[in-house]
Amino acid sequence: MKDLEQITTQAQLEQLIERYFDGMTNLQEENAMRQVLAHCPWQSDAIDDAKVVMGYFSAHSKQHRHATRRAARLRMTGLAASIAMLLAVGAYALWQHQQPAGQDLCIAYVNGQAIDNDEEVMRLIEDDLNHINAASQGMAAQLSTLGEALELDNE
Amino acid sequence: MKRTTIIILTCLLATMTAMAQNGLNINRLFDGRFKKAAGATEIIVTGRQAHEIGLDVYHSLSVTDKGQAELIESLVVKDGAKAIDKEVEYRNGQLYYGFYTMKKNKRDNHYIFFLNQNLARKSPKNVVTLIYMEGSANSEKIKKLIRK
Repeated sequence: MKDLEQITTQAQLEQLIERYFDGMTNLQEENAMRQVLAHCPWQSDAIDDAKVVMGYFSAHSKQHRHATRRAARLRMTGLAASIAMLLAVGAYALWQHQQPAGQDLCIAYVNGQAIDNDEEVMRLIEDDLNHINAASQGMAAQLSTLGEALELDNE
Repeated sequence: MKRTTIIILTCLLATMTAMAQNGLNINRLFDGRFKKAAGATEIIVTGRQAHEIGLDVYHSLSVTDKGQAELIESLVVKDGAKAIDKEVEYRNGQLYYGFYTMKKNKRDNHYIFFLNQNLARKSPKNVVTLIYMEGSANSEKIKKLIRK
């Protein structure tokens, strides 16, 4: 809790203003802040904002400050968007780099042993595909049996 | 300042979400963990050799470890939910065979095959196989490739 005597520096005033905008101040502190703002010689964005809110600036000055703040906000938004864009481009480049599609690779690791003989690797692929083929044939056969059963049922 | 932080965080979140959508869940299995694992086979073929079989990328895993097999199945099922075309067969509540077509972009497709040979009726084997293929070939060409 701050009263008028306790606000002797710009930092203390700005701290109080921050608490005011966060809705953390009580009536006594707000009164003290009003009085200090009315007479203080200090200048900063926070103090100017508080003065605007308290009605110590003219409408023209308020508009000017709003425009200035809007411009600053736009700059910050632009900066944030640029950072996000750079991160996205960087991440995409990294992701592309990690994709092995562009390199000539033909390698297998079997029980921790690397095999880089092309023929051996292709034979392992053939094994994989044969197993997959057998399973898919099984499914096709099932479908065929089902189809035949339906046909018989319809006759 | 708070507003700027929120904007940056929102942009970052959007970027990360976009990145996550680019990748498949099974990609995390291809981080090299199986290269030195006993009871596992990992095959990577890209470039010239892959082009010879009509692909850009061929990447497969065969594992015997039950825990890893379950992980593979769960990741395949997750990716399969986003497939534009799929052929699947479940046995005893488990995925036995899966062939998923995942659209990548206008030119390339990626395909996922899954086979749990534990569930085979004829001579079951303690092996779960995952194959990832990438290339311009359509699903008919891919099927022809496996029938060769």
